[in-house]
Amino acid sequence: MASSVGGLAVRVQEEPQRAAPVALPAFADIVREHQGMVFSLAWHYLHDRALAEEMAQEVFLELYRHIGSIQSPEHLLFWLRKVASRKCIDQTRRRVFWPKFGLDEIPEPPAKLRQSDPLLSRALARLVASLPEKARMLVILRFQEDLDPSDIARVLDMPVGTVKSQLQRSLDVLRDKLARTVGEIAL
Amino acid sequence: MRFLALFFLLGMACYGQALDLKDLDKLAAKATETTDVTLDGSLLRLGAKFLSADDPDQAKVKKLVAELKAVYVRTYDFEQEGGYSEADLASIRTQLRSPGWSRIVGVQSKKDHDNTEIFLKTGSEPGGLAIVCTNPKQLLVVNIVGKIDLDELSDLGGNFGIPKIDIEKKKPAPKKDSDK
Amino acid sequence: MSNLEDDLRLALRREEPSLDFAERVLARLSEPPAVPTWRQRWAVLMRPPRLQWAAVAVVLSVLIPAGTVQYQKELRYRAEGERAKAQLLFAVRVAGSRLHQAQRKVLETSRPGTRL
Repeated sequence: MASSVGGLAVRVQEEPQRAAPVALPAFADIVREHQGMVFSLAWHYLHDRALAEEMAQEVFLELYRHIGSIQSPEHLLFWLRKVASRKCIDQTRRRVFWPKFGLDEIPEPPAKLRQSDPLLSRALARLVASLPEKARMLVILRFQEDLDPSDIARVLDMPVGTVKSQLQRSLDVLRDKLARTVGEIAL
Repeated sequence: MRFLALFFLLGMACYGQALDLKDLDKLAAKATETTDVTLDGSLLRLGAKFLSADDPDQAKVKKLVAELKAVYVRTYDFEQEGGYSEADLASIRTQLRSPGWSRIVGVQSKKDHDNTEIFLKTGSEPGGLAIVCTNPKQLLVVNIVGKIDLDELSDLGGNFGIPKIDIEKKKPAPKKDSDK
Repeated sequence: MSNLEDDLRLALRREEPSLDFAERVLARLSEPPAVPTWRQRWAVLMRPPRLQWAAVAVVLSVLIPAGTVQYQKELRYRAEGERAKAQLLFAVRVAGSRLHQAQRKVLETSRPGTRL
């Protein structure tokens, strides 16, 4: 049985528990295709670049072990988001997390991107990183990954209604915090 | 805002030793967020080694920390007021009253209920700086051990912050549902 | 769509990890399986006529991991170094900003005409 994941043929074994052997170069392509998404989830959540890279590596190592269970490119994306979210939330529950005392380590983005206000972006990213765990991941999945609340609910295993209400509440909190941080802004 | 003495803050080198911060450990269980930075010996040297000489800020930090022995930071954020008490800080305050330590700054804001105290250890080697910041929902303790230029440190602290942003005022948009 | 949502999309746009990220993942995947015990190695060596190939396998199983282990050590060293650097920068900024704020407040208060 074979299926296509990210355009590459992956041999899926009859017993799904065993990881299918994937040639490393092929797996490297999968990593390169999705590393930005996984890393960014961790980076925006943890606000610690080194830790985010470590977390992202762990996600791909786990993917390699479970590659046989991936059924489609869409499933792969779902799987990566789900595992990355879970690992990030577990990470903050297990150990210390960096609070926000004016620390600004966000590097300049590699590509030229439209930025209405780079300082505002940095302030917002920090404020998002200061939200409680689940709310933080909700906002990141919504605005980094552009997921619908129903998709977010599947990734985080939460009721859709809870996702919607928490998202709205988080936006309200961010709006208030941002207003206090930078003064009155266009809302 | 109360004003207390501020002496020799510019260009002063100071010498001190590590504070015992163990009494703060129990606060982690009650805090919603905690930071624990412990950099001493080889870990501090390793971190300094990775600072980039090409980045102006990092190059300044590299120069600043060249003679440090250790750096400790503990921060605790609490959901509600009363997450910590003065009793939790008693051991640290006792240490900061010991010979060699001088309280050089105490700044209190009645508006934000922020209280910042800065201590220096002078005299015998190694050097030391301690900062204790409190407000009803937050506690910060910094201890730097070794010789450090306070002027440079303060200068870096001023530059790292985000400058004031002027954003054009517009009418607030009506709240929208978060759905697509 | 509100400006805040646009700003959030900009603030939370995807970024790439370091350039050799994929290589580092592969390096961790390339870690060899557990090195056989000396008893297992001897058992393999004592089985002719495959003695020669077994000996080659044993030698390779020692040499190849040595190179990979060294690379792994370097990766871990780099990750530790970056983390220590991040902690150091954080500590300096926290201390510096508090010192700067206190200094500013004291200087403001000490201006002529200010009541103490």
